Amino acid sequence: MTKPHLNMAYRKVNGHGQSITSKPSHTNCGIHLLRRTGTHNICMVSDFFYPNMGGVESHIYQLSQCLIERGHKVIIVTHAYGNRKGIRYLTSGLKVYYLPLKVMYNQSTATTLFHSLPLLRYIFVRERVTIIHSHSSFSAMAHDALFHAKTMGLQTVFTDHSLFGFADVSSVLTNKLLTVSLCDTNHIICVSYTSKENTVLRAALNPEIVSVIPNAVDPTDFTPDPFRRDDSVITIVVISRLVYRKGIDLLSGIIPELCQKYSDLNFIVGGEGPKRIILEEVRERYQLHDRVRLLGALEHQDVRDVLVQGHIFLNTSLTEAFCMAIVEAASCGLQVKSCEYQVGGIPEVLPDNLIILCEPSVKSLCNGLEKAISQLKSGTLPDPEKIHNRVKTFYTWRNVAERTEKVYDRVSREAVLPMDKRLNRLISHCGPVTGCTFALLAVLNFLFLIFLRWLTPDSVIDIAVDATGPQGAWTQQYSFSKKGEDNKEISESR
Amino acid sequence: MWLLSGGAAVTGHGQLGAPRSRRLQPERSAPGSRIPIMVLKVFFPSCCCSADSGLLIGRWIPEQNSAVILAVVHFPFIPFQVKQYLSEVQKVSQVEIVVLGTWCNNKQEKEESLGKFLDDLGTIFSHEPWLQLSKEKGSKFWTCHTLSRQAGTPQEDQIILIYYDQRKAMLSQLHPPEMSLDNQPGVIPAPDASKLAAVFDTVARSEVLFLTDRYDDGPLKLSHWQSEGVEASIIVELAKQASVPVCMLLTLLLSLVSGLCRSRIFKFWPLSFIWSKLSTCEQVGYRLEHLKFVFSNQKAENQNQLMRKANIFVSLLLDVALGIMLLSWLYRKNRIGQLADALIPVADHVAQELQDLLQWLMGVPAGLKMNRALDQVLGRFFLYHIHLWISYIHLLSPFIEMILWYVGLSACLGLTVVLSILSDIIALLTFHIYCFYVYGARLYCLKIYGLSSLWRLFRGKKWNVLRQRVDSCSYDLDQLFIGTLLFTILLFLLPTTALYYLVFTLLRLLVVIVQGLIHFLVDLIDSLPLYSIGLRLCRSYRLAAGVKFRVLEQEAGRPLRLLMQINPLSYGSVVQTYRLPTYSCYPKDSWGSLCKKLFFGELIYPWKQKGDKQD
Amino acid sequence: MEERRSISDIYGGRLALQRRSYSPSCREFCLGCPRLSLRSLTAATCAVWLVAYGLFALCQNSMVLSTAIFITLLGLLGYLHFVKIDQETLLIIGSLGIQMTSSYASGKESTTFIEMGKVKDVVINEAIYMQKVIYYLCILLKDPVEPQRVSQVVPVFQSAKPRLDCLIEVYRSCQEILAHQAVTSTSP
Repeated sequence: MTKPHLNMAYRKVNGHGQSITSKPSHTNCGIHLLRRTGTHNICMVSDFFYPNMGGVESHIYQLSQCLIERGHKVIIVTHAYGNRKGIRYLTSGLKVYYLPLKVMYNQSTATTLFHSLPLLRYIFVRERVTIIHSHSSFSAMAHDALFHAKTMGLQTVFTDHSLFGFADVSSVLTNKLLTVSLCDTNHIICVSYTSKENTVLRAALNPEIVSVIPNAVDPTDFTPDPFRRDDSVITIVVISRLVYRKGIDLLSGIIPELCQKYSDLNFIVGGEGPKRIILEEVRERYQLHDRVRLLGALEHQDVRDVLVQGHIFLNTSLTEAFCMAIVEAASCGLQVKSCEYQVGGIPEVLPDNLIILCEPSVKSLCNGLEKAISQLKSGTLPDPEKIHNRVKTFYTWRNVAERTEKVYDRVSREAVLPMDKRLNRLISHCGPVTGCTFALLAVLNFLFLIFLRWLTPDSVIDIAVDATGPQGAWTQQYSFSKKGEDNKEISESR
Repeated sequence: MWLLSGGAAVTGHGQLGAPRSRRLQPERSAPGSRIPIMVLKVFFPSCCCSADSGLLIGRWIPEQNSAVILAVVHFPFIPFQVKQYLSEVQKVSQVEIVVLGTWCNNKQEKEESLGKFLDDLGTIFSHEPWLQLSKEKGSKFWTCHTLSRQAGTPQEDQIILIYYDQRKAMLSQLHPPEMSLDNQPGVIPAPDASKLAAVFDTVARSEVLFLTDRYDDGPLKLSHWQSEGVEASIIVELAKQASVPVCMLLTLLLSLVSGLCRSRIFKFWPLSFIWSKLSTCEQVGYRLEHLKFVFSNQKAENQNQLMRKANIFVSLLLDVALGIMLLSWLYRKNRIGQLADALIPVADHVAQELQDLLQWLMGVPAGLKMNRALDQVLGRFFLYHIHLWISYIHLLSPFIEMILWYVGLSACLGLTVVLSILSDIIALLTFHIYCFYVYGARLYCLKIYGLSSLWRLFRGKKWNVLRQRVDSCSYDLDQLFIGTLLFTILLFLLPTTALYYLVFTLLRLLVVIVQGLIHFLVDLIDSLPLYSIGLRLCRSYRLAAGVKFRVLEQEAGRPLRLLMQINPLSYGSVVQTYRLPTYSCYPKDSWGSLCKKLFFGELIYPWKQKGDKQD
Repeated sequence: MEERRSISDIYGGRLALQRRSYSPSCREFCLGCPRLSLRSLTAATCAVWLVAYGLFALCQNSMVLSTAIFITLLGLLGYLHFVKIDQETLLIIGSLGIQMTSSYASGKESTTFIEMGKVKDVVINEAIYMQKVIYYLCILLKDPVEPQRVSQVVPVFQSAKPRLDCLIEVYRSCQEILAHQAVTSTSP
């Protein structure tokens, strides 16, 4: 159809421009269809999605794209980001609901456990969702969705992207909530074995229902380019959000020490956050303006251009379940250097000869860096192209999607706990006080659901037109474009 | 958002997403229905419906494939004269008026000869396409043909007949006014310009065509809309003639007054400062501007300026009328004297109340325990201030009645001037409240700033002025000690200051709200476009937001008939379009920033009251 | 020429869809909302009066009662004149434009006419409305400066809010007429 709708084109979400190019063509779609029997209607729920940037966001996006390619129907539910609210379409008809919920802290929505039920129920019904897949334990919306899905009798899967401590008060509270939230979730996915251990312990889970599926990177996005870097100096690249958890305080200790020792050492720091001020002060105090470059927030497509300018990638994260940044860096052919606690999931990610691990202290990090620098100077480091070719084979999204699909298949065969069993399980599993409280809340939620069903019966809700999948409107008509989205008018005018 | 593919929709399989290739095949697009090659729109004046047979003259707009018929020329006529007449009209109106076709109103039985004759006319006045409208006796439906000489056979045109009211279309003004349609001769509106605007423009510009009336014995007999009320227009003409010298006289006077105002005496510092701060002066100056604008000799260039002049004139008239009503009320039964007598006790009473309030604050207000020493100092300071104020008022009291009497005379300048004076008087009489507020706010602001910088000192930070950010900084022990000491003192004295600040801020806000209400009233009178509203009320078609169509009764095989009506502008948009700009500045900041300012002790609403310090 | 059908809105209420076809390029869709129900009217009135009577019992001032009567009358008038829409009409005239009319219960009519030159397209859109996700029909207007861009989205049937099946039917008719338009504008 050559009508002008096409030209409105879908508005590309900032920052994944390159990911689209990597999307496989539709030719192999048919093979999957023949092979596959049951497809699922999957709803990904998380507070974190584009235009917010980060590991969880790209994980959800890439996984959804690969699942769509395999013939499933996938929608994404997240909260509104500024002016981006309503319903949008991304590549291959991936539908994203930006719900107008209030953001409380750190892009996570406020939760009352009930207020999101009407909208979520409406979406689940109109999209005929069979499996709810929530992401990230920091996301209140993901937990809300799990809770509502269980009330509605839908299958649930949860992916945990982060590690937690056990000692301090906030961790104890969060862990308790996680226990409640996950106690009747059908299946849990963790991104590394460390993360699995951590989650099983925190949420008191049966390890049988926890799977490990690592993250992946798109190797075609991160190709090495040795000519971009200046070999007369050594450049260390740091790309992360500038927050405490990423160990920026350590970084501010390393920079002056190494800069004094080596005169040909430069730093490039990409990212934005509350700890940026520390780095600026360090830079001013030691007069390092020409050697330490602070780039500020980076768009996702710019990350590769920054990475290829460096020789060594430095990651100072204190805890990390699965560090995608180091895989991306290694894929660009950089020597990776990372510090970690005992519980971190970083050692699993890359083989030893591609990475140097250190203790989380300034001294240990400096030693590690010096080792890397001496290796670099002596020329014993492998060629970037070789590193890239090795890393390319490690993690791919197709593999992730295949493994996730197996989880879905398994989950869809399971039965959802009926209400009485669910209450029993809550009370027996989560301790008397918390269990009873949440059992009461579950009952209230159920009553609310019945009330909503009386108010707008399921039969009144229009079934959404399916844009993805083999019969979808997207694949049938045009494989490349879709329309913009302007529902602000209606949703705001009332 | 998603949309159903148009292709899928047209093929009508009830299934979303049929392949797009189907869409482009024309024979599938509308099965069983005739595909129109060209849709011809004929705009026909409804006043010509009962005219005798003749020629249709009007304008052909080729880009839109539409014909705007302006008049009907009756039999008998000489073709040469018609052509000559049209070229004359075209010269004057600069609209390309041509003969578009024939009109046949069969009052008697159908005459074969007439039909033949009409066909022949097409060869004399060549126009492409040649319209043939005919109306049968007793039938509401018309037939319409077009002849195209090139093709030989009548094209399969689909014709839409649109009736319009010529008078309304000529007088109405489309909103928003199109910029592209200026009055330059021969300018063809851009193809994307509004179609209807072009139609309206055509009708409005061919006004000269409508000037010939029915009783003229010209060479041609025309049928079109006739304006009525020729007698009234004589009076209008007389008034127009008379208004020129009146306007000149007034302009002279006004320029004299404004020259006087701009003379050098008023440029000196204290006077100019006071003038700029008193709202009365601003209002008078504003009215002066208005008068100049209304009586200026320049002709209004476009509709908008004309409306603006009319609006200003009406609002001036209303203002003065209200002012004179007030004047007549005030100067009856010695009301001025009563007012003056009441004013002094009121001021006294307010001062007394304030004194009581201060006494209460100096004790233990609302059970709060304050810092006694600071409390006493502040209280005495304010009490002394009130004392000064009262003596000032009493000094003034013998003259108050006289002042009011003279001030009252200004009501003949208009109600808004009186209201502005009232606002100024309130500002003058509550000057002490303003002073208290400023003192309280300054003190409070100082403390807040001190506390915030000392709090930074605690955390080992300091404000970097050069970079506008908070830097970390290591302090000496002495510095920390002094800082802590000062912080403690400031912190414990804060409640006392904050209480004084709170009370006086509330009082100040009260005064500001009263003044704001008065200014709001003044603004309302100043800015309301009364003439436009009146026009909308009585002649709703004059201000058109657009058009609306009504589908008239239909018969198969006949052209579609629509009635075009003017869609009047809504009252809201009338006010919005023609609102007169006002001088007064409303607070720009939102509620949030206002609260923030109040919290940090910054002065709010200082832009008018600063002048009072001069007294 | 003319057909009537009963359809449902997004709340499950009944709507009357009336479809008139004057000519191949001129069609009209009328969505009639149900009339003001006596039950809800009585309920609202009773609620106001009960509250007023409660206040009256508290402060023994008969002004309260007369005010309550006044408020209900004014409220009813205002509701009928400004809020309650009885019928919404969409009239599509090929090569001329699209006209939307909503008639209020009091007889007031508000009409908007959009010229065909300004219409970019008619589409069905999805929006989050209250606690629902609904489909609605809307007219996309061209940006006067850049014809490829959409300057404004005008929703149709704002008060009736019919369900998807009705919207699809209206959408198809619109597309049919717009397609004619496309053919006619490209052929000369």
